[in-house]
Amino acid sequence: MDQSAFLGRFSRNRGALGGAVVILMVASGGLLAPALFPTDPLRIVAAPELWPGQDPALPLGTDSLGRDILAMLVHGARATLLIGLFASAVATIIGVSVGAMAGYFGGWLDEGLMRGAELFQTIPNLIFVLTIVVILGSTLSHIVIAIGIVSWTPIARLTRAEFLALRDREFVQACRAMGMGHGRIILGEILPNALPPVIVLSSLVVAGAILFESAVSFLGLGDPNVASWGRLVGDGRQLIRSAWYISAIPGLAIMVTVLCLNLIGDGLNDALNPKLRDR
Amino acid sequence: MAGGLAVSSRRLAALKLLRRRLVQAVPLILGVVVINFVLIHLAPGSFLDLMTAENQVSDPATVALLRKTYGMDDPVWLQLAKYVWALLHLDFGFSYRQNMPVIQAIAINLPATLLLMLSSITLAFTVGVAAGVVASMKVRTTWDTLVSVLAMFFFAAPSFWLGIMMIVLFAVKLGWMPVGGMETIGGNGGILDILHHLVMPTLALGLFYAAIYARVMRSSMLEVSQADFVRTARAKGLSRRRVTLGHVLRNALLPVVTILGVQMGTVLAGSVVIESVFSWPGIGSLLFDSVSSRNYPVVLGILVLGSLLVIAANIAVDLVYMWLDPRIEIR
Repeated sequence: MDQSAFLGRFSRNRGALGGAVVILMVASGGLLAPALFPTDPLRIVAAPELWPGQDPALPLGTDSLGRDILAMLVHGARATLLIGLFASAVATIIGVSVGAMAGYFGGWLDEGLMRGAELFQTIPNLIFVLTIVVILGSTLSHIVIAIGIVSWTPIARLTRAEFLALRDREFVQACRAMGMGHGRIILGEILPNALPPVIVLSSLVVAGAILFESAVSFLGLGDPNVASWGRLVGDGRQLIRSAWYISAIPGLAIMVTVLCLNLIGDGLNDALNPKLRDR
Repeated sequence: MAGGLAVSSRRLAALKLLRRRLVQAVPLILGVVVINFVLIHLAPGSFLDLMTAENQVSDPATVALLRKTYGMDDPVWLQLAKYVWALLHLDFGFSYRQNMPVIQAIAINLPATLLLMLSSITLAFTVGVAAGVVASMKVRTTWDTLVSVLAMFFFAAPSFWLGIMMIVLFAVKLGWMPVGGMETIGGNGGILDILHHLVMPTLALGLFYAAIYARVMRSSMLEVSQADFVRTARAKGLSRRRVTLGHVLRNALLPVVTILGVQMGTVLAGSVVIESVFSWPGIGSLLFDSVSSRNYPVVLGILVLGSLLVIAANIAVDLVYMWLDPRIEIR
């Protein structure tokens, strides 16, 4: 595909472009968090429950203990985005492997793998993640892997469909005639062609994973050492009568981030399939 | 006569579909059970040690009984077989925390969750489909834009956060709605009271799905309205309105129904979070309590029964799908 035409179509989509700008800002904020707020964000800096705007030095106010909400939010961006990215990576690796095998080899392997996908779609996702977390312990890596395990099925289905469409094309047949092995055909020939729509879907899985992690942390079952946005919402929950902004602000951050990731995903999708754009 | 025959053959087809789906469900259920079994064995240390420690069981006779109940001294395959056998008899173990069999603890909490799920799905389906139809009939107007913007918003908002914000606005500030629970404490109950408590949890859980259905319904309506049979109907001289509502709508519903079936598990999972926000006395509250107190038998029981619920709901959705689309034949 022509790369500049692709970029051109993407950048003409105002929503997607705006989403990309916001995500870049959130990501750089998260990356620069140690420089922007070098002290521990969980340190007490002022009186508790200062409303946003009450003190110019603390634009988003303080929480129930007097901690700077902006500092916690910026540090939380790092945790939230990284968890979303890694969980999506886990889901993509599982989904692409399963989908590629099912689509390429077909037959009983396809049947078995797709039944497995159906199984993972049947188990209520959050209940599964909570079960894994409670049995194996609530660490960051367990949460990331658990979210990946419940999020891979759509990626597997899409990869399978792409492989089914590509596996009998001329260029693949030519490789077979040349005596190329299955592994090289799958990884070197079909996968690069199947990947673009899969990457679009992975970007949407990042959004889903962020929502997922925020729900786990909100319930207080996340990694106790990580202050992600979901946990900040949960922490503020007891104070909704006197200081509802403590829950409102990090929740707004989750919503804006997920919204922008969805806009980017939609924009990539439209740019990949220009014919479908007007649907 | 012909009509009667058609009805009975449809009923026969539905029964065949039901039987086939039930047969297909067996390996799925077995898979869920095996995953459960693997999870038990992944637990660090002995599952039994953890369970006895958490529940402060120290009596050697009880521990021995538990060892025997859970077959801890048997080879793994025999343990699995025994586990399957126990589950077949709905024996999910005993919950010391509630002091009753796990199945009973779940059964007590199930109706509240089913009520919340049912009302949320109903809301999501009606609002989503209506919004999608309006957007597609008024495509590229303010209405269409409004539906898209609202759908984007509710698709991105975390449900628990939406719930908390609704509590702040409608319960704390305006006082229109109860903060949580299922009935007014000390009130004389009644259906109206429960419905009053049901409004906000339903909105918090259902609007996310309404957003999805609105988007799918809109594009599905636009796609079906391009189909040949729609042009034929228009060429026959039927009004645009009749064609849209009579022909397009029914066919455009199919993808929405498919998604509804696929998402049944996530709706159940979503209700876990919403129940925690609104102190709704359902499976979610039980699960949250069990996770916090590391009450494994209940957690695993909810995982298995939740999956069974999803399988049953999927079969129901398949039957609806068949009723909607007469072209679907039994393979």
